[in-house]
Amino acid sequence: MDTTQLLKGVLDLACLAALRDEDGYGYDILRRLRTAGLTEVGDASVYGTLRRLFNAGLLTTYVVPSDEGPHRKYYALNPAGRAELQRSGKVWHGFASTMDDLLRERETA
Amino acid sequence: MITTAQDEINLYVFAVRAALGDLPESLRDELLEDLPEHLAEVAADGEGSLTDRLGSPEAYAADLRMSAGFVGGFPDPPGRTDQFKEMRDVALARLRVADVRLGPLFGAERASEFLVQLRPAWWVLRGYLAAMVLAWMLDDSGQPIGLLPRIGGSEAVALLLLAAGVLGSIWLGRRSVRLTHWPQLALYAGSVILVLVALGGFLSADSSSRGAPYADVNYENSNPYGNIEDLFVYDEQGRLVQNARIFDQNGAPLRLGNAYCYDDSGNYTEVQTLTYPYCAERDPFRAPTATASATAGEASGAPGANGPGPVPPMEDGSGVSPSVRPSPSPSATSPSVSPSAR
Repeated sequence: MDTTQLLKGVLDLACLAALRDEDGYGYDILRRLRTAGLTEVGDASVYGTLRRLFNAGLLTTYVVPSDEGPHRKYYALNPAGRAELQRSGKVWHGFASTMDDLLRERETA
Repeated sequence: MITTAQDEINLYVFAVRAALGDLPESLRDELLEDLPEHLAEVAADGEGSLTDRLGSPEAYAADLRMSAGFVGGFPDPPGRTDQFKEMRDVALARLRVADVRLGPLFGAERASEFLVQLRPAWWVLRGYLAAMVLAWMLDDSGQPIGLLPRIGGSEAVALLLLAAGVLGSIWLGRRSVRLTHWPQLALYAGSVILVLVALGGFLSADSSSRGAPYADVNYENSNPYGNIEDLFVYDEQGRLVQNARIFDQNGAPLRLGNAYCYDDSGNYTEVQTLTYPYCAERDPFRAPTATASATAGEASGAPGANGPGPVPPMEDGSGVSPSVRPSPSPSATSPSVSPSAR
């Protein structure tokens, strides 16, 4: 099974979750996801997902000048984003436990 | 091939943009707005080329297309700009094809790669041009500026301005990729204006270097005989010499003035012979009562009355009096001394 296929469905949720505790810029968020274990997540996918979530009104952005490089665009969850995170999180938990149950049944069957 | 990290990023963004060529321009601009900064972070964080770490720009574009979706990217409202954008997209697509086809000519995958390498050279040239334009606007000394951005004819100012212009342009060039849409457009517009000014300057410099013998040589000032219209020769007694001919030391006839006359009633006569004066009526020393009908006989009949006076003194005292030539010796007035001259 290809994890990249699975990632496509949950990348939105993953990005929202990565921003739950701390704001971050694009590359920062990518690193958080990889550190958390989503090692196959692609750079372009995260960049594109952040743009899309922002356009959907779930994120706010602000620019922080950086001493050693270009300025950084930080993304932050807004209330709509937090609500979406909660809602999608529930959906995921339901889905995951269904899948777990399904797999367990098959294994024990 | 690739000179700096910034160039690499530019190339990568360019290729991603090209791969998204079918998207509406506004959506594409918005989607790629932060990509240069983002790639700069990526590039700063590890080893290896962007292509090694992120895959080909085309694959990157495909990922981007899928993950970004079209949220917020409702089709642009139909308008007059649509047609323009469509034409531009078609032109850009053709340019991309030409870009790839011409690549081998420059020993690169794409011709644009070669052009990107020429960029620093353009920055330097742009700095020079900006300095020249600035000097041209600030300089009010009235002296020709030349090929350096002189202000008030000062070479030191020119070199300072040149250095500032070139360094500033390079700084701007290295930053330009991070500029947002409008500042970047302004920069492009400024560059176009500079190029036009430079073309104008080049053409005028070219024509002035080709046409040097004809350009602005100011005869009025450099040649004291420039405004001579006619020549009047008087003998020792102050009589006007009619039909005089003048020669230089080589026996070549001297040609001065304008070979035509306007008489007092304004009639124009072309002068046929090369003898002076052309217009005897315009004798500057003629008596006020003399008219255009005055003849040589009348004029010479009143020596001193209407001539310049006998033997005008030469300013440097060493000159030869006009009456000397027929005399065998300088002291022609005293024949008793002349045997020594033989």
